[in-house]
Amino acid sequence: MTLFRAELHRIARRRLSLLFGIFAVGGLLLITAIMWFNSSTGPSEADLAAAQQMADDANAQYEDCAADERYFENDPDYSWVADDPWYGEMPHEQACAEMFLVGAEAEDYIYVYTFQFDEEGVFLLIGVAIVTGLLSMLLAASAIGAEWSSGGMANLLVWHPNRMKVWGAKLAAALALCAVAVVAMLVLAFALLYLTAAVRGDTGTLNAAWWEDTLARLGRTAVMALGMTVIGSALAMLGRHTAIAGGVIVGYLTVGELLVSFVRFGVNSIKYPDLLSLYTWIGAWIEGRMELEYWDPVTGLPDQLVLTATHAGLVLGAIMLVFAALATWSFAKRDAA
Amino acid sequence: MPPVIEISGLRKTYRKLLRQPHNALDGLDMEVAAGQVHGFLGPNGSGKTTTLRALLGLIGTDGGAMRVFGEEVPRRLPQVIGRIGAVVESPQFFKHFSGRLTLQVLAESAGIASARVDEVLEQVGLRDQAKQSVKGYSLGMRQRLAVAQALLKRPELLVLDEPANGLDPAGIHHMRELLQWLAHEQGVTVLVSSHLLSEVQQLCDSMTIVSRGRRIVDGKVADIIAGHSGSQLSVRFADAGEIGRAMEVLASAGDGVSVAAERERLVVTGAPEAAWVTRTLADAGLYLSELTTETKNLESVFLELTGTAPQAGQPVQVGQAVPAPPVGASAETATGGEQ
Ligand SMILES: Nc1ncnc2c1ncn2[C@@H]1O[C@H](COP(=O)(O)OP(=O)(O)OP(=O)(O)O)[C@@H](O)[C@H]1O
Ligand SMILES: [Mg+2]
Repeated sequence: MTLFRAELHRIARRRLSLLFGIFAVGGLLLITAIMWFNSSTGPSEADLAAAQQMADDANAQYEDCAADERYFENDPDYSWVADDPWYGEMPHEQACAEMFLVGAEAEDYIYVYTFQFDEEGVFLLIGVAIVTGLLSMLLAASAIGAEWSSGGMANLLVWHPNRMKVWGAKLAAALALCAVAVVAMLVLAFALLYLTAAVRGDTGTLNAAWWEDTLARLGRTAVMALGMTVIGSALAMLGRHTAIAGGVIVGYLTVGELLVSFVRFGVNSIKYPDLLSLYTWIGAWIEGRMELEYWDPVTGLPDQLVLTATHAGLVLGAIMLVFAALATWSFAKRDAA
Repeated sequence: MPPVIEISGLRKTYRKLLRQPHNALDGLDMEVAAGQVHGFLGPNGSGKTTTLRALLGLIGTDGGAMRVFGEEVPRRLPQVIGRIGAVVESPQFFKHFSGRLTLQVLAESAGIASARVDEVLEQVGLRDQAKQSVKGYSLGMRQRLAVAQALLKRPELLVLDEPANGLDPAGIHHMRELLQWLAHEQGVTVLVSSHLLSEVQQLCDSMTIVSRGRRIVDGKVADIIAGHSGSQLSVRFADAGEIGRAMEVLASAGDGVSVAAERERLVVTGAPEAAWVTRTLADAGLYLSELTTETKNLESVFLELTGTAPQAGQPVQVGQAVPAPPVGASAETATGGEQ
């Protein structure tokens, strides 16, 4: 217990933790600001009037053109239309319609985006939870990796020879920190985005069904963030260096997935190549359900595979457990210096 | 009182893929008695650090037994670790942590009051640098921090891997006083590995010398030096022609005395004392002109024992020490030292 508290203290006093915290909150504020300035509940009177004026002008131009058979010849700006065989072939009114808008309305000249919290807000919240999970994963990996490469780990083991206790305390501290960070970021994001929607957009109706669905998805995302933290810690334990753990994570997310997409296009024997991609399972886990489509190349008949959160949870959980078990075994058996 | 540390037949083999396995420890024995400063000497790569790491459970071993405070380690290490303070690796957690914060986190992890942190920082002379980040510490300051960390638990056994490393003369002097005070006033048992022979000679009460992962000799420092010096006497005569007769006289007069002629002088080994040589020669009507005892310091004893004395300006390569002498020879010196 004292070891766990010391670990928490150690990570909390770390400069990188502060940096990542600032980064996360800053990112959230940026997203909120973007939503704030892009979203509006509707155009103002002046905007509407200006747009109506532009629509009226366009309509007047078409009317002028249609009324005057020699409109193109007389206007030096459009004389090329008169010479063009393509436009020359068609009736005059049709040429006018090609050149100018017919029946323009104010809406054609004004763009209104309304931030819909009950629909889009959920995706932003999920995104916030995933990014917080990624940061927590890197933080845990670098905390353990830095300790290994500096000799601090061996020194700590001289104080606490029970390696399983040390590993448990480190993991528990990283998970506690991740849980606190995810919950705090979600609460903050909810408050900021809801406020944005209330003032500059549409909050929609947050009824019991919405809450149930949203909390389920966010809860699963938070669990995934914890799993990512475990994998980050395990990689640092296995690699014994921050750079190795970080390299494996980034390497997989880039090159690994690229290889998967090559397999997808190159190998026909796999019926659902999407199953090879981690993102498919992550999507199924967060959304709770994912349908993979398949068209038989011979008969052309469709087939489908439904992945539920349970399937995805088993697969992702197994991956996490494999890493955790390898790290535990390696820490228990390998020389620490 | 039983020894605080008992190590017998310790083996450690480093195996690397595609490489020949390397025996870093090859049946090492060591005993450290309570309340003493015990020096641990050996050439580079002779397995000192490896031994200390094994003792502290940082690395696994391939054979042998170790006991600390009578408890089998590493199995029972968690029970005795509270009584052991050690410096084998750098204690830093993160480079930007201050010296004090580094120690505080360690103290917190073991439930030690943080007032003790300032005490040990004072003790190793880091009071004024305590708030500075470890990143900016010099080699000697890091070493002091490491020692402070080891003292934090008020240990009954201190294990230090080259504590003098990087210390300035004042720091070495201070470290020596501190360790001797701990051992002789506080009853702490101190085990230090070192290369600085003069340092060991001044600091340690007893020592173990290892080479190639085996013990060569152990015992009281003074006894070991005495056991290897004074045993050789150099005798000269005004008339070099008398050397031949003197050889016969000395060789026939004493048991176990061996005499060798070396240019203008006689080298006598195994004589009971210098006076015996003078008397024996005088009785035979031979008067020597010069008699010197070849006094040795720890350095020459060390070089002789570990076989790392440089030959004709050739650099000595790490790992080229002579193989350890047979166990009988080492045991003889060992017991000789303790009597
Ligand atoms: N992690 C390791 N992997 C492989 N070989 C190692 C490892 N650690 C030590 N060795 C080998 O074990 C032998 C003993 O090393 P050790 O560090 O114990 O020597 P030492 O007596 O402390 O030397 P020094 O006086 O230079 O500190 C050396 O030959 C070294 O090459
Ligand atoms: Mg060493």
